[in-house]
Amino acid sequence: MLRDLWDGLPVLAQDVAILLALLAPLLLIGGFLLRGFAPWPLVRAVLWRFRWANGMFVALIAISVGMGIGLIAQERGLRQGTAAAADKFDLVVSAPGSEMTMMLATVFLQPSDVPLLGGQAYNTVANHPNVDVAAPLAFGDSYDGAPVIGTTADFARHLSDDRIEGRMWQSAFEAIAGAAAPVGIGQTFTPAHGMGDEAEENAHELVEFTVVATMPRTGTPWDRAILVPVEAVWEVHGLANGHAPEAGDQLGPPFDAAYFPGTPSIIVRAEALWANYALRSEFTRQNEMMAFFPGTVLANLYRVMGDVRQVMSIMSVVTQVLVAASVLLGLFILTRLFRRQVAMLRALGAPRRFVLSVVWSYAASLLLAGTLAGIAVGVGATAAISTVVTQRTDILVNASLGWGEIHLAAAFLAATSLLSVLPALATLRQPVVEGLRA
Amino acid sequence: MGLTLAIRDLRVTGPTGRVLLSVDALDLPEGSLVGVRGPSGAGKSTLLYALGGLLPATGAVRWGDTDILALGEEARTAFRAANVGMIFQDFLLFEELGSADNAALAAMFAPRDRRSATRDAAVANLRHLGLEPGKRPVASFSGGERQRVGVARALAANAPVMLADEPTASLHREAADALINDLVALTRDQGRTLIAVSHDLHLLERMDRVLWVEDGVLRTEAADAA
Repeated sequence: MLRDLWDGLPVLAQDVAILLALLAPLLLIGGFLLRGFAPWPLVRAVLWRFRWANGMFVALIAISVGMGIGLIAQERGLRQGTAAAADKFDLVVSAPGSEMTMMLATVFLQPSDVPLLGGQAYNTVANHPNVDVAAPLAFGDSYDGAPVIGTTADFARHLSDDRIEGRMWQSAFEAIAGAAAPVGIGQTFTPAHGMGDEAEENAHELVEFTVVATMPRTGTPWDRAILVPVEAVWEVHGLANGHAPEAGDQLGPPFDAAYFPGTPSIIVRAEALWANYALRSEFTRQNEMMAFFPGTVLANLYRVMGDVRQVMSIMSVVTQVLVAASVLLGLFILTRLFRRQVAMLRALGAPRRFVLSVVWSYAASLLLAGTLAGIAVGVGATAAISTVVTQRTDILVNASLGWGEIHLAAAFLAATSLLSVLPALATLRQPVVEGLRA
Repeated sequence: MGLTLAIRDLRVTGPTGRVLLSVDALDLPEGSLVGVRGPSGAGKSTLLYALGGLLPATGAVRWGDTDILALGEEARTAFRAANVGMIFQDFLLFEELGSADNAALAAMFAPRDRRSATRDAAVANLRHLGLEPGKRPVASFSGGERQRVGVARALAANAPVMLADEPTASLHREAADALINDLVALTRDQGRTLIAVSHDLHLLERMDRVLWVEDGVLRTEAADAA
């Protein structure tokens, strides 16, 4: 009954309800201690008196809360970013081997030496009635650090959602640049053989591509890529260009199996989404080829990462508990410093609850300030790390503050402010007269 | 408006069982100004704290109709809030607060309907003592000014009893004399009962009566003091 009621609530209402439930102990204890009192001038005086120590406490709390928040938000952002990067790759067909290796090569453009699929296999896939697009990929060349990838016009349209700026290539040595590629429309470049430090600059020195179009930003590693007709890549490497000599300057499918040099993977787009499952089983043939969903491979990866995430969450909670414990210890020591004032308040007739309310409000102010600053630190750190990750990997990571992080911060605040009643109680254990004589 | 004081068989015992203070009997009429003197460590402050109900003790300490020793700790606290103003040797002010907030400290824990009365009384007392109530932290005040803030604080709750522990010991002569004048005038005008522990002869000579404490025993004859 209650379960149904809860499940029937909108997600936002559930999140707000959890937040309120987490903050309830804080509000209750604050309400109980402060009812009928106006201790704020004293709280402000104590905050000001120990301002350096207080600043340290707030900074410590802020860093530990910020780390916890940043960790969760960053991990989620990375997960969403990588999942989004795989969006365009419903089904990938490749030679049998490691799905992970092939996924990294096709979706994240981290190619390694992989076996190739031949022309027969390619045509089996390309000619299947349920297959809409079957794009071969040719990796291996680069220009100024950006991968130069041979493929088909259909795949370029698919990748950019048909929003190419400029025009589609019309000859083998025209190129389409990704949004973050180092070349723009009208520029020419000569690709180097290989990637990174091992690239041989002069291997293809007689070849020159002209950029005729750019693609809008997709938030994936493909933004840095430069797409060229796959025929050009094959030719540059002295291979057949996929077509019989009679075909002349034909670009794109159909390819002639006899002249097909091979492709590490084929990106498949089905006529309809439901067809993907049938295609996957159909194209998974022992010793011949394998088909996989990059999204599933990523999901498996996340499962492994999920365990790591839990370990990291526990570590961050432990860190926060340690920080909270040291802050409380510091409060114990600080409260010793105003035991004379506490004794004086008691001598003047201040009730125990008033003394508690002063010490607790002081501690809770530090915890509240630290937690709020921690949320800011977490958001700032997350934004900074996301920017770096996006720059380094071209995977668009949009890490933002979620309810999970807010709940974490609220739980921290509620737990520590409950515990901070302890140093407040400790100040009351001192006999008044000893305090006055101290 | 002061309260009478009646002490019977008061015994304050230290943690080792040693008797720190014993008073067989003492009766003071309301509105008395009483000095307490004696050697250091003889038990003068202990007497003052026992009168305020701040120490565990046996016997009876009756202010008016209330035996403060018969009350529980929170009830004693409430009794002090309503009836006793305390003045300390080193003032015990909140250095970061201004004179007005310090003098009106009791308003922070007073019932809501009495808060503004306490604040008004604090301001009036400060003015009466020649201080401008303000926000400037008392850390920058002179000793004499600080003790006058302390006196204003003790008076703010309009308590019928004032307990003062060496109120002039931290002041130079001139400031001490000014404070003595103010303290005596303010207590006498309102008919308050004042009990002041002091070595200061200028203060003691303004009292109605001076008690002598030695080795934890109260001698009621003023003549013994000579």
